[in-house]
Amino acid sequence: MANWSKLQTRSFLESSARDRAIGLVDEGTFTELAGPFDRMSSPHLVALGEAVEFDDGVVTGVGRIGKRPVFVISQEGRFIGGAVGEVGGAKMVTTIDLAIGFADELRAANPKIAPDELPLVAISFETGGVRLHESNAGLLAHAEVMDAFQRARGKVPVVALIGSRIGCFGGMGFVAAATDVIVMSEFGRLGLTGPEVIEEEMGKDEFDASNRALVYRTTGGRHKYIMGDCNFLVDDRIAAFRGQVTELCKLPVGDFEQFRRIGSAALVEKQMRAVALAAEMQPKDAYDVWRRAGNNDPAGLGDAPVDDFRKQAQRLSV
Amino acid sequence: MDTLIGQGLVALEMIVDPGSFARDRVGAKEFTDESYGPGAVVGTATLDGQTVTVIASDAEAFNEKFPVVYAGIIGMEEGYKMASAVYATLAADRDAPASAKRPIVLIVDTPGNGPGKVEEIFGMNKATGAYQLALAEARAAGHPIVAAVIGRAISGAFLCHGLQADRIVALDAKFGTMIHVMPLTSVSRIIKKNIEVLEELSKSNPVFAAGPQFFHKLGGVEEVVPEIADLRSVVIRQVAALRVAKAKGEATGPVGRAVLGAARGGRVTRPQVAAKMAAEFAAVADKYRPQSA
Repeated sequence: MANWSKLQTRSFLESSARDRAIGLVDEGTFTELAGPFDRMSSPHLVALGEAVEFDDGVVTGVGRIGKRPVFVISQEGRFIGGAVGEVGGAKMVTTIDLAIGFADELRAANPKIAPDELPLVAISFETGGVRLHESNAGLLAHAEVMDAFQRARGKVPVVALIGSRIGCFGGMGFVAAATDVIVMSEFGRLGLTGPEVIEEEMGKDEFDASNRALVYRTTGGRHKYIMGDCNFLVDDRIAAFRGQVTELCKLPVGDFEQFRRIGSAALVEKQMRAVALAAEMQPKDAYDVWRRAGNNDPAGLGDAPVDDFRKQAQRLSV
Repeated sequence: MDTLIGQGLVALEMIVDPGSFARDRVGAKEFTDESYGPGAVVGTATLDGQTVTVIASDAEAFNEKFPVVYAGIIGMEEGYKMASAVYATLAADRDAPASAKRPIVLIVDTPGNGPGKVEEIFGMNKATGAYQLALAEARAAGHPIVAAVIGRAISGAFLCHGLQADRIVALDAKFGTMIHVMPLTSVSRIIKKNIEVLEELSKSNPVFAAGPQFFHKLGGVEEVVPEIADLRSVVIRQVAALRVAKAKGEATGPVGRAVLGAARGGRVTRPQVAAKMAAEFAAVADKYRPQSA
């Protein structure tokens, strides 16, 4: 097991799901639930004669940041691209349910409990969505996670962390959009349709999936920050993600509504104004929208060190 | 009639009371811009005399502004329009007791979400997410939500428009009903497994294959409707059953379908995982309670 202090300086992008989970919470506080020793692996992969992982590619557990119990879900992209099946989906849903149940229990025991003593859920996404080897079960699991988020509203804040290799796409792309807060690094990518699928749909002239710069400026952390889809853009270190979650841990659950991009009639109205802008602009490139947001030199901004980017970037308002 | 694929509006008229559908009006909200999300059909009808909100896809419509959106695809405008219809439904019955909240009927025939570059730049994921959250909120508020799959219920579009309902009914496979993430032939290609092997495995395990009967076994569809002529009566019966189930606090929606999936033997590992995690957390929960006494 990696040394906790050493984990802090480690690249979030390069880190395994378990290291991200352990490093996110205070030293020595992480308890894994349904960990590898429980051997909760996918029976469907067994049926196909495929290799399994004893955690089914998702690390779930509970730790603490300060006084706050933090329930953690961390997806492992190195196992079938972090795709979600029956077991992994059940682990995600159950973690959120345990957090909601614990919040209810703590509030019932002490109605005056301090806000920073109540649970928070943090999800480190690294996934392309449904695991095709068990696609039907994976699809149904996505719906359960979405429903669990809505049940958590007003009870337990849900924070998305996106900064891993695979990004966060497919069904998990809209699951992540439905969380309260999204924290990304510039290497994080968030979307619905992956680059290869868009290329297939629209042709290589319209969208070249092998063009990494194009892919990053369409779905990457910097773009999502300008669009307001990611709330906080942090450095690519475990400590940086941990630092942002630690700040969020100080807030009562009611304060998390301000970070949301969807989830109410008013927010839908706001997104409709953004879509009207999309219809009017018909952007050929994400940089067109950066310029519209008030960034006169999008290419320069895109290449600037991330610290300068954070200071200079104008975010789109609609 | 062999199929209702591409005929969401025909299905809509068959299900609700004849001539009762008033398009583009939900509670106090009027959808006045005809060019806005034209593939998303929203409105109010009566169903066996009860006022209901209806949300469907029009496969004939083409979105001039977003050319990847046609044939029943749910694009950004369509997703937000559908979400607005749900919020308008919530607003219309804000002061009604849970038992009197109007039902929402989803008529499902959609092949996907908008897959374009503009969609990714502006965030298609938010539009489909917004609609799902709205449905989950309405379901929790007491509105009975029934989804009727009459044609295509494909992957993310089914998650968007269908899988947040309290109950899902689907026309029998003989009418061409398609429910899947991907056809088995594509799955076979991507996961590099022989199609014959997958077809053989599908006989005993419903997680691989496409079709309403497999989703039924997994609890992902509550009821398979044997004939097109039965659609209306089945939806009416499900709404009535939901009034009772919701009053009793029974699990419906995604949680209810998880219970059903275990009971039907299609998803039996899920409850084992949940039980294990609950037991393990109970054993350590004291460590995570407030320590100051």
